[in-house]
Amino acid sequence: MSPGPYEHSCHRESARHMLLTKEERQRVPSAFDDISFDLCRRRDDVIMMSADLSHYVDLFKVTKELPDQFVEVGMAEQNLVGVAAGLAKAGFVPITSTFGSYASRRCFDQMVICMGTSKNTGICIGFTPGISSPAPVHHQGTEDLGMLRAVPQATVIDPMDVTDFAQALDVACETPGLVYMRGHRGTTPKMLDPETFKFELGRTYPLRTGSGIGVISCGHASQWAVEASDILVVQGVDHSLLHVPTIKPVNEQEVIDYCFAHDQIVTIENHQISTGLGGLVSEIVCKVGRGPRITRVGVPDSWAPGGSIRHIRKHFGLDGPALAKRIEEVMQ
Amino acid sequence: MTSKSAKRVKTLELQAAKMRRNVVDICMQRGGYAGQGVALSDVGACIYFDEMRPDGNGWYHDRFVNSNGHDTIINFAAMAELGIYTMDELRTMGADGSPINQSPIEGARGFEITSGSLGTGVSQAAGIAFGERKKGSDKRVICLLSDGELHEGSVWEAFMFAAHYKLSNFIVIIDNNDLGATGKTSEVMAVEPIKKKMEAFGFHARQINGNAIPEILDAFKEARSVKGKPYAMIADTRIFAGIGVYQNAIPFAHFVGANGRWDTGHLEWEPGWREILSTIERLEAELAALDQGQT
Repeated sequence: MSPGPYEHSCHRESARHMLLTKEERQRVPSAFDDISFDLCRRRDDVIMMSADLSHYVDLFKVTKELPDQFVEVGMAEQNLVGVAAGLAKAGFVPITSTFGSYASRRCFDQMVICMGTSKNTGICIGFTPGISSPAPVHHQGTEDLGMLRAVPQATVIDPMDVTDFAQALDVACETPGLVYMRGHRGTTPKMLDPETFKFELGRTYPLRTGSGIGVISCGHASQWAVEASDILVVQGVDHSLLHVPTIKPVNEQEVIDYCFAHDQIVTIENHQISTGLGGLVSEIVCKVGRGPRITRVGVPDSWAPGGSIRHIRKHFGLDGPALAKRIEEVMQ
Repeated sequence: MTSKSAKRVKTLELQAAKMRRNVVDICMQRGGYAGQGVALSDVGACIYFDEMRPDGNGWYHDRFVNSNGHDTIINFAAMAELGIYTMDELRTMGADGSPINQSPIEGARGFEITSGSLGTGVSQAAGIAFGERKKGSDKRVICLLSDGELHEGSVWEAFMFAAHYKLSNFIVIIDNNDLGATGKTSEVMAVEPIKKKMEAFGFHARQINGNAIPEILDAFKEARSVKGKPYAMIADTRIFAGIGVYQNAIPFAHFVGANGRWDTGHLEWEPGWREILSTIERLEAELAALDQGQT
């Protein structure tokens, strides 16, 4: 199959429109505080849960103003997910919150057995995922997407901004079984226009259209991809951007159509380069065969250092200028 | 003992004997957790045929979470008596292609959770109890786990949670049979003193003979009266209790093969099968005599 014009279910014009311009983009402080409070006010069956990290994931208003919709379990992640699964069996929609490193590593069995084998909705949010934690390895869950993607029937979502996060969480509440989501804490960018962006499970979103190099990203890395893209646009490098918030179940045909419309594919993720988004795209393209070369960019099978996200990104060549250079280089 | 309570106990002894028969019947086919199932039949009979209140729709108002997958054979044995499973279905347990799993998956008829991964059920049961109370329901939640399961740290997280939130609608039954997967619990990793530990974790705890139906009933009665605390019933049981000829045949029989073998010995199924059938006959006669005495 040779590269041809890329037709996406999303019209090109609206694609461009979905991503707010640089000037329109905002930074929203403590975004999850508002997202969780708004959700709980609309739905009294939703229970926010914490393992003694509520203040570290911006859960304030629900705990104070809607205390009946908040359950604290202490520093006990296995119990966090187990109790949540029990609440689901009593008719509630539980949303557990902890860091992504703990959510994936400390209670994986509970996610799989207690929630994954159930038809009841159970939502686990892993905050400060990947390298977005300033503390090193123990706080940096860089394998979670791969782990959760391997769970049958699980839903795995890595949203990129406030708009995406809030809408995806609404959809998660209506999705049966285990839903693992990556969360954003602290000041979170608003990059997608809520008027034109509508989160649908599995759907992929073209943020910039072009040909030549196709850049596929998810979560925080979609922010990074936009930063790099802003540089490439100025430099006149032909490329496009595809944001893939649903890691599982993704619309494979949309990924295939996108990849085969480009000469080169670069995946960017806030995750180990194995088993995550790059792995997912490679698996899908391999099924068709004779696809474009795929360059996987992310955490390169190594432990990340601690420090500011700016420092860690620079360490791995994931900052905007470095990414722009790496994307451009794949064509050479 | 009044004639009414004598009849209640005798009825449950008969149900327990029938459950033992069902356990042995199932395990004779392809092997199974026979020793635990036989030993837990008294507790199981009290849960299914006395303590849990019917919902009027063929199931129960109260909820029973069996955290220990190995012990779910007593759920099957009881549900065979309730007509929810047929013995023909249950005899396929463990066969390739059978829908009957030794450790069932959530959604299987009559099962609240997927219970094969030890330690994960207690938190779920506590979550159910918390949720039911939150809804204003008076449902009680019974969670059965085993002494070996106390090795799992997550159960202690769940105990802390239940006590912190004063879940008085929550009762845990610890099957204290001193049996782990590879030997005596006390030798693999000691868990005693369980009662003191449960009390230290904020439970109202009581240790009973788990093969004495009057003691089990009395503990359930006490559990209903305890306010502001969850309840722990530590039920001391003996592997194969209730079937004399099996009792010393295989020490620490975690699993008994269809050929009656485990690595510590073997048993002949047939003599125990005859014994349990004659026990049922005897109990039926005794119950009939009690009925006549009442009329």
